[in-house]
Amino acid sequence: MTETATLTQGSRPDAQARPAGQATEVAQPTGAKRTRISPLGMMMLAPALIVVTLFLITPAVLTTVFSFTNMTSATGITGGAYVISPNLLRDLKAEGLDPEVLEALGGETVSVDQAGLEAARKAGTDPRFLEEIEDEFLGKSFADSRTFFGSLKKLPNRPRRIVDVKRTATFFSHSILNTRFETRDGAVSAIRSIAPAIGPETLERVLERSYTGWVWTTENFVQLLTKPNTWRIVLNTAFYVAVTLSFNVLVGLFVAIATFYMPRRTGSLFNALWLLPRITPVVLYAILWKWLTWDTGFLAVIAEQIGLPSFNYMKGSVGTAWMIVVMTNGYVGASLSMILFSGALRTIPVQQLWASEVDGASRWQQVRYIILPQMRWPILFVTCYATLSLLSSYEQIWLTTDGGPGNTTTVWALEAFKTALSNYTGNLQYGMGAAMALILVIIGLGLSVLYLRLFRFDELVEKPKIEF
Amino acid sequence: MTILKRTTAAALAVALLSGTALSAQAKDYTVKVWAGGTNENSMYRVKAIEMAADFLQRQAALRGEELNITVENQTWSGWDDFKQAVTLANESGTAPNILVTGHEDIGPWAQAGVIRPIEDYVDFDSWPLNQIYENLIEVASYDGQIWGIPQDAESRVFFFAREGLSAIGYSEDQIEALPERIREGEYTLYNMIDDVKKMQDKGLVAKGQGFAPRVKNGPDYWQFYQSFGGEMVDPESGKLIFDKKALTGMYQFFVDAVAKGVVPKTYLGTEWDDWHRNVAAGKYGAWHGGTWHYAQWTKQFKLDDFFGKTVFSLIPAGNADGRANSITHPLVYLLSASGSDDEAAISAELIGIASEPRINALHAVASGHLAIGTEEAKVPFYANDRWSREATEELLPYANSIPNNADFGVYWTAMYKGLEASWTGASPVADAVKTAEAEVKAALGDGIIIR
Repeated sequence: MTETATLTQGSRPDAQARPAGQATEVAQPTGAKRTRISPLGMMMLAPALIVVTLFLITPAVLTTVFSFTNMTSATGITGGAYVISPNLLRDLKAEGLDPEVLEALGGETVSVDQAGLEAARKAGTDPRFLEEIEDEFLGKSFADSRTFFGSLKKLPNRPRRIVDVKRTATFFSHSILNTRFETRDGAVSAIRSIAPAIGPETLERVLERSYTGWVWTTENFVQLLTKPNTWRIVLNTAFYVAVTLSFNVLVGLFVAIATFYMPRRTGSLFNALWLLPRITPVVLYAILWKWLTWDTGFLAVIAEQIGLPSFNYMKGSVGTAWMIVVMTNGYVGASLSMILFSGALRTIPVQQLWASEVDGASRWQQVRYIILPQMRWPILFVTCYATLSLLSSYEQIWLTTDGGPGNTTTVWALEAFKTALSNYTGNLQYGMGAAMALILVIIGLGLSVLYLRLFRFDELVEKPKIEF
Repeated sequence: MTILKRTTAAALAVALLSGTALSAQAKDYTVKVWAGGTNENSMYRVKAIEMAADFLQRQAALRGEELNITVENQTWSGWDDFKQAVTLANESGTAPNILVTGHEDIGPWAQAGVIRPIEDYVDFDSWPLNQIYENLIEVASYDGQIWGIPQDAESRVFFFAREGLSAIGYSEDQIEALPERIREGEYTLYNMIDDVKKMQDKGLVAKGQGFAPRVKNGPDYWQFYQSFGGEMVDPESGKLIFDKKALTGMYQFFVDAVAKGVVPKTYLGTEWDDWHRNVAAGKYGAWHGGTWHYAQWTKQFKLDDFFGKTVFSLIPAGNADGRANSITHPLVYLLSASGSDDEAAISAELIGIASEPRINALHAVASGHLAIGTEEAKVPFYANDRWSREATEELLPYANSIPNNADFGVYWTAMYKGLEASWTGASPVADAVKTAEAEVKAALGDGIIIR
């Protein structure tokens, strides 16, 4: 006890020089000082804060925001425009919109007048070309801009580039069809100019339907709740996480304990071998599994030789596909848990094992009564970490079974990834993918809290009751 | 020299010099081209743009302008990564000037403002665009505007091994008549299953290798939907159609093929190269692919005497409701909305030149694709190529395309998931159809007609 006190004081030499009363007096302002934010401290913290904000908080916030939208690759991410298109008019017609309004919105008049000429002149159109337009077509009307373009092409001084002729033609066309209005106000004034009789309600409806960008919605969550496929994926995910997690922890623990009892060198060699799945690049690792388990692969050939069922084990049956999914992910996870458990085992005072051997304890009794009780914290850590990491992992599944056969090995994270970011047909549903990711985050948080309570985390981190 | 003369001479010199300065003012452009689904046989998709740049520079030089165009190209062998790259590049404003992609991307990309309508930049009434097949121009159009210029055309083909057919009792004449019988709907997919089963039973084809369909997702599978009477889009309302009966027929067909033992239930997901190797080695009884696969088999996989070993046709009908058909899936040159208007104009000119019959014929013959225009079909280099000629005549007139509809991707994904689920036995056919129906209903609501 005296030794401890001396050591503590020794670490604060000023405390010994000061009388006790003074020390108490000083303590007050020190406490007040603590609330002051030191600029140097902030500077030191700034990089960490920036990194946390950029790479942790911002993605989480964006995912939440995206999940309440109908954002897809068709709506774009940064916002849309207002476009009255023939398809929209056809849909509005089917929905019974006023035919007069529809006619006005879809109409096009092309007439050569002074206003058009003036606008073209101001835009820098070649004066000789404009002169020809004025001479040939002033006061004339055309059926549509394609016909007008055909007439403009015949003029001797027309610009060389087609695009410039077409640009000139637009100054004489009065139509909003297929024009992209970047702002709502722009769209409103254009619609009003071409269909002055449009009522406010109809205008609102047309604007709403003509908007090409994303809108706020809770539809993603409704869809997820009602789609039958959702529950299939939830079950797949629960099965995948539970089985792979058990594999990670049990195999990791077994290898750690087995190598712990081996001579140090041999143990290290085995530890290094078990690290291979983790240090092998993931694509190469997946290819190795393919070579091993496909119908032309190593296992199938051996199985055929000895008369066992030989097929593409990776995709051939639901059972073998799951075994491969669990093993590909399990070995990667087991190598991490093995390192952690091996480290933790080395911290157990070896005297306890010696003492137990003197008392005649078997290996199993040593594991059961000495090792496992002292491994609670690493097991808790591995369980928590592996659960969260498995929940969000998909890359090995994507590269091996790709969620098949059918969607039997499709897990939530893989489905979210495919929905939002990788789809053969190119229709990326960012909103739906984000909603799926958000649900994953919420489940992850919920499970973390559950684990902490289950393993009595507070007891593990509380101050030791005995001082060494 | 009088003062007047001197002034005049000086003015003239200034005018001349300024003229020289103007003409010497070089215009530099860097045109970026990205192409999806492109392998070494189809590199003319991007090389044609490089050839066009050279051509345009020469034209400019003759006009006294100095035009320097640098073409930077990037190709992707698959589609997923390419499409993801395009959508992300567009959001960051770094999309390339020219995109080469499947026409089905026009719908979503037009809505999202990724692309600009090419009709604003080119003249479809002038050479060479005026000779492009009208139906291909339609395929490149969406919502009242022409967005792209067809880059190639193709058909999807059903192949039979002649040797296999002979061995199960087909005479030479019967083999020659098979494409016609298929076209007329007399020979169905189920007849095909029976025939390839016979080939397997005779030991000509290994068990499970009688029928080898496409190994991965692709427009090809819509052909089987059509074989059972399915329609993808309602021409009147423009809405997508989910035909439960046709989809059931299609899923059931693959389940039956598995039950007959002519295709493994784990077939989907086979590696492309394994499939190509087996085709070239004559290991399959019947298979289907694209016209462009011919180039891969004969060049990369060393298949010789293609016409002596195979007979090709439309995809047979599945039942009396359906029809023999083929889907053409033209790739299109699109103008991205990124970059300046001037760059878009130059890019459009390059696309126009690249669509010249002789230039496009290089791509068609090199990659086994079909001509995009009437005049290209007359280019001797193309017309003398037996595969190009026969495939154009036998298949293209009966080919239709998948719809340009921004929602079609959702439907497509659901269709393929259901096919995979029933094929592998993960769910019964009826459940797979119900799941696909629920998926599209939830995602598209009134945007799809269920019948």
